[in-house]
Amino acid sequence: MTSQVEIPVRTRLAMFVRLLAIQGAWNYETMLGNGVGFCVEPALRLLPGGQDGPAYRAALARQSQYFNAHPYMAAVAVGALARAELQGEDAAKIERFRTALCGPLGSVGDRLVWATWLPACSIVALAAFGFGVGTAGVLLVFLGIYNAGHLALRAWGLSAGLDHGMRVASALGGPILRRGPTHIAQAAALIGGIALPLALDQVIGPGRALFGIVLGAVALGGFVLARLHGRAEGWKIAVVLLVLFVLYSVAR
Amino acid sequence: MTDFAQLLPLAMLGAVLGLDVVSFPQAMISRPIVAATAAATLLGDPGRGLLVGATLEMFALETLPFGASRYPEWGSAAVVGGSLYAIHGDTNPGGLTVAVLAGLACAWIGSWSMVQLRKLNAALARRRHDAVASGSKRVVEGLQVFGLTADLLRGGILTAVILAVFMPLHRYVLGNWHSDARVSRAVVVGVAASVAGAAVWKAVHAAPRARWLMLAGLVVGLALLAFR
Amino acid sequence: MAIELFRIDDRLIHGQVVVGWGQPLDLAFIVLVDDEVANSEWEQELYRMGVPPEMDVHFHTVDDAAAKLAVYQRDERRGALLTGDIGTMTRLIELTGSITRVNLGGIHHRIGRTQRLRYVFLAPDEEQALRALASRGVDVSAQDVPAARPLALNEVLSGEGNR
Repeated sequence: MTSQVEIPVRTRLAMFVRLLAIQGAWNYETMLGNGVGFCVEPALRLLPGGQDGPAYRAALARQSQYFNAHPYMAAVAVGALARAELQGEDAAKIERFRTALCGPLGSVGDRLVWATWLPACSIVALAAFGFGVGTAGVLLVFLGIYNAGHLALRAWGLSAGLDHGMRVASALGGPILRRGPTHIAQAAALIGGIALPLALDQVIGPGRALFGIVLGAVALGGFVLARLHGRAEGWKIAVVLLVLFVLYSVAR
Repeated sequence: MTDFAQLLPLAMLGAVLGLDVVSFPQAMISRPIVAATAAATLLGDPGRGLLVGATLEMFALETLPFGASRYPEWGSAAVVGGSLYAIHGDTNPGGLTVAVLAGLACAWIGSWSMVQLRKLNAALARRRHDAVASGSKRVVEGLQVFGLTADLLRGGILTAVILAVFMPLHRYVLGNWHSDARVSRAVVVGVAASVAGAAVWKAVHAAPRARWLMLAGLVVGLALLAFR
Repeated sequence: MAIELFRIDDRLIHGQVVVGWGQPLDLAFIVLVDDEVANSEWEQELYRMGVPPEMDVHFHTVDDAAAKLAVYQRDERRGALLTGDIGTMTRLIELTGSITRVNLGGIHHRIGRTQRLRYVFLAPDEEQALRALASRGVDVSAQDVPAARPLALNEVLSGEGNR
């Protein structure tokens, strides 16, 4: 039932580059939908009848409807959907598969990237800053580490999707995706603990007494904000406090 | 001392970094620690940019981009914060505080501008729905290119307008600043670190042993400071 | 502890649920109610991938879920129950009669639906169904993530939410 499909390197590259702009037309109605169509398109040209043939047009129309997932993990969907189309799977089956991909790819990506990898890299950058690493060094560390993971994930996702097609769920069960977030979170906890006091000290500058007071205030403030978890956003409270401080500093 | 000759490169930087937030290529060059430093480097003072950037980065730890919920736009915001500090912050005691606050305000306005862009994208997609449903390559690609271009313009205009409004405001506030320099810094970074501490806690507390690891980290960090 | 969240979300398991609600509520299990998913191995396999290893996920048809709801409600851990559409949740409520609060978390664009919120699009018959739920005493509100303000059904339907 599943014929072998060859996808030339040139097509894979075109899809990968387009993936970097997958959220270009993001909106609240079709979300990533148009982007998925945009990224799958280079592969669809390989369909019988070629570009603008009836098969191509039907597939492009199908692939450009509503879709939502994590932007990096959407690479898996783009690859898998391209393969499913090229194998000539039944349209209704492709649509059902496409719908079922949204949630899991969103969840895996949110957990792995937005909830752990990004904050972990951000914490590493703050740690480098706290240790007094120079400007270029901090940026190099942050962008280098973050994007090594970012680009590897997109590239892996695309090729996993292209290789496995509609059986891609098995590829999502790999240890990095399943256990990765837990380990990254543990590392982030440790480095975050080290980084915060050092970064705090770096901004305030020398002087023990003031640092002690601030540290106490931060411990208290952090505790209160952590207790408010899920009910209030800390940065909004912070804006109010800072506005009050600015008014006080100007008016006194 | 600032004029449009300075505004133009900053707006272009704000455009590119604003685009990175969601549309292209999401390589996190829009994170405050990068964006603020880049802006201040344009003005010849990378070190000051890193200071604003690190402080804003602490706030940004809390607002992770989840699903469709609205979140601050840090790219253009950090360009505003970084350049304000590099321009007027030099020796003023309130420089860092006000630059960070301006960055936070801009992040909020930036998030509003992104919502507007998404509505515009939706309206256009709705109008072109029939063409998309017929599988038109030109329209699918056109929608994508339109969204990217509009987002680039959004970041640029946002940065330029906010800077034009905030520069005089910033100068006025700093001209009337009466708090001590170190206290001013301590307040802003203290607030930032509280937000960051709570954010790290939220992000990691569900992982096994993470609470103890964070506590151990804090002990190590404080010990390093004590022996510095 | 029991089930803390009854949510209608056409994406079923995704980041807002697993991380957005999962972390602050400390969710330990998810009950996914959908007749088609309950009968499809490969879809279950996909959804299972979206859940952290330490979180349990149970798949049920509406009838199954109605029969087992009392057991989940006695669970010492906290959980969430998800359906992909309003019809499924309505049937579950009619069968059990014990669900008092429903969260609209994501009902997205489709032809025939009108936008009510950024994340809620409703067809006329769906609005009717939600009104019917409210009139039988179920507290229906929209809230995508915990930090957002919950919007009551009449606020949603009048479209005055976060336009």
